[in-house]
Amino acid sequence: MASPNGQNKQWAVLIEGLQKSYGSTTAVDGLSFQIPQGQTFGLLGPNGAGKSTTISMIAGLLSPDSGTVQVFGQPPAQPLSRMNTGVAPQSLALYDEFTARENLTFFGRMYDLSGARLRDRTKWSLELAGLVDRADDRVSTYSGGMKRRLNIAVAMIHDPDLILLDEPTVGVDPQSRNFIFEAIEQLRSNGKTILYTTHYMEEAQRLCDQIAIVDHGRLMALGTVDSLISEHGGYSKVYAEVESVPTGFEFPGTFEESSLRFESADPVREISRMYSAGVAFRTLTMERPDLENVFLALTGKSLRD
Amino acid sequence: MNKIWHLAMKDLKLLSRDRMGAFFIVVFPILMGLFFGLAMGGPSSGSSGSKMKLSVVDEDQTPISQRLAEKLGENDSIELIAESFDEAKNNVRLGNRTGLIRIPKGFGEHAGIMWQEPPVLDVGMDPSRTAESGMMEGFLMQAMGNIAGEEMMNMDRQMPLIEEQQKNLETQLANSPIQLAASKMFFGSLKQMMGSVNELNSLPDEGSNAGNDSQNSLANGMQLVKVNKLDVTRELDPNSIAGQVAKLRSPWDISFPQAMLWGVMACAAGFAISLVREKTMGTLPRLQVAPVGKMTLLLGKALACFLAIVVVIAMLTTLGVMLGMEPANYLMLGIVSVCVAVAFVGIMIAVSTLGKTEQGVSGAGWGINMIMAMIGGAMIPAMFMPKILLEASVISPVRWSIYGIEGAIWRGFSWMEVAMPCVILILVGVVGFALGVTIWMRRSLA
Repeated sequence: MASPNGQNKQWAVLIEGLQKSYGSTTAVDGLSFQIPQGQTFGLLGPNGAGKSTTISMIAGLLSPDSGTVQVFGQPPAQPLSRMNTGVAPQSLALYDEFTARENLTFFGRMYDLSGARLRDRTKWSLELAGLVDRADDRVSTYSGGMKRRLNIAVAMIHDPDLILLDEPTVGVDPQSRNFIFEAIEQLRSNGKTILYTTHYMEEAQRLCDQIAIVDHGRLMALGTVDSLISEHGGYSKVYAEVESVPTGFEFPGTFEESSLRFESADPVREISRMYSAGVAFRTLTMERPDLENVFLALTGKSLRD
Repeated sequence: MNKIWHLAMKDLKLLSRDRMGAFFIVVFPILMGLFFGLAMGGPSSGSSGSKMKLSVVDEDQTPISQRLAEKLGENDSIELIAESFDEAKNNVRLGNRTGLIRIPKGFGEHAGIMWQEPPVLDVGMDPSRTAESGMMEGFLMQAMGNIAGEEMMNMDRQMPLIEEQQKNLETQLANSPIQLAASKMFFGSLKQMMGSVNELNSLPDEGSNAGNDSQNSLANGMQLVKVNKLDVTRELDPNSIAGQVAKLRSPWDISFPQAMLWGVMACAAGFAISLVREKTMGTLPRLQVAPVGKMTLLLGKALACFLAIVVVIAMLTTLGVMLGMEPANYLMLGIVSVCVAVAFVGIMIAVSTLGKTEQGVSGAGWGINMIMAMIGGAMIPAMFMPKILLEASVISPVRWSIYGIEGAIWRGFSWMEVAMPCVILILVGVVGFALGVTIWMRRSLA
């Protein structure tokens, strides 16, 4: 499906100063970011950070109190934007008394698909979800993982350019989780733009080209995984048991008896220097910072708090 | 339009797979129809096992007229009530009696004499109870057959009559000696035979069954009684309870329109909940992010509800007809059904926006339904309602629905008469739909 023409068409999603409150609770507080076309963009934050509200506004399901949302340069509620957007909501949105095929066919028709095109897309979606063998069974008989996969497949039925996946792996078994990861990677390789919300940093690290960290509806940081870690993750930690030490060698960090512990922005370079000086290690462990550290550094709390 | 159709088909398919929903929309109304139908007289009052209440007016007051009343009273299917002609006529009009039998003066003079004009009985039957009318005539003939048989064996009555006839004939044949001789021979043999019969009658009871059989067979080929049918309902006020009841041809005529409304209300309540249920399930937001307009979504629900209501009415009509309901005008019934569907689609759309949760909408839906049903005649037929309740029922769409459906089934409405309930129902539908759409649009999600 071709992207629509329009202003800011290089951005699949453009958000500026987005604000949304429910009564006295501010869900989204001045959020701004852009998602380039073809990128997998992670919205990382704890529960209640405003991720789902942001997704709902991008999908055109909620209107912001203030600020701007554009999808391929157009307001999200425009029919063309809707045709170009697929949404897999966090809670399952399926007809339990329908089969997978019936669900896909029905929602396909809502996107004006019919005939051979609808059949082809239904077949493709069933394959994507790994549900070809259970296509004609009622959804009520599916496992949680199968339902979750179908929930994503329904979002793909009309072949959208922008796919909004809101916590797509919540409550699924490891097998289904891997299946979902592979499906997302396949979509990414097909050039689709994906907005992926999660509070699992491993998922964000594995799948996302760029990550926005949000908390209390505010953008805390934005960048690639590496840039976020290098900017906010702090130093790598090195733990070692030292076998022999040249006389007069000065270790960084703390060295007591044979145990060495230090932090460094470039630990590999530091260890190389020790080797060169004749330090022999019995064991060597290096802990690189991750997004959890980034989040902790930015918010003072853990992602899963 | 295509999307509205697919949305409607989706809802109908979901409904067909929802056993509980199907129970309330189809099975429950059928049970209601059967219950009320049976409560009001069963498949046919004649076959229900209850006795036929007949008034008997004995103006003849002869032993034979009293025997006729006794014989009818011996019938297990008849409960005979003696009263004056005016009382009897009034009771039949009010539906308190199945019919009346008036035994006029002079009945006893002619009853049981085969070679004379048959006696006359005046019979007035409730025209809505045709089955019982036929049965009653059968019982009457049986009783008259028995009386005729008994009278044939009654020598005290027959001998003077035979002698009178012989005397008359002999006077006429005085100039023809051969015919006179033949006549004497015939009457001699007849008297001898009658004398033998008299002796047989004096024997103990062993031959009584055979006697009864022969008595009954006397009726074969002879007119035992001339039934003069009275029109006892002609003067009824068509708007009175009796007037309305008189038009009924079957108890299903009343119970099935009520049952249809229960089905219709269940449909409306079910679809009202389905909108908020879709919201809970997440499928409504999923549809809202698709290029499907809000009005399209509502029209899809409305179409599904409309089709379901029409199908429910058609199914209950078919079942009612199979049980004995006789719609007077099928085309009118179809048009009224469409109007009923329009009204309840409007109500459904309005109710669906009254609450934000399934429980809220469900409570509101059934609460409104119950009030409409109570005052609208879905629980107690409107004709049996007290005046104050009947006046209040004009605000209930259920009342106008039942009124319109009954108009097409048994009230014998003209097109002008049915126009009023139809217009009211369409107005209710339009107002309900407009209200629902306004609230739905204001409660904007986007």
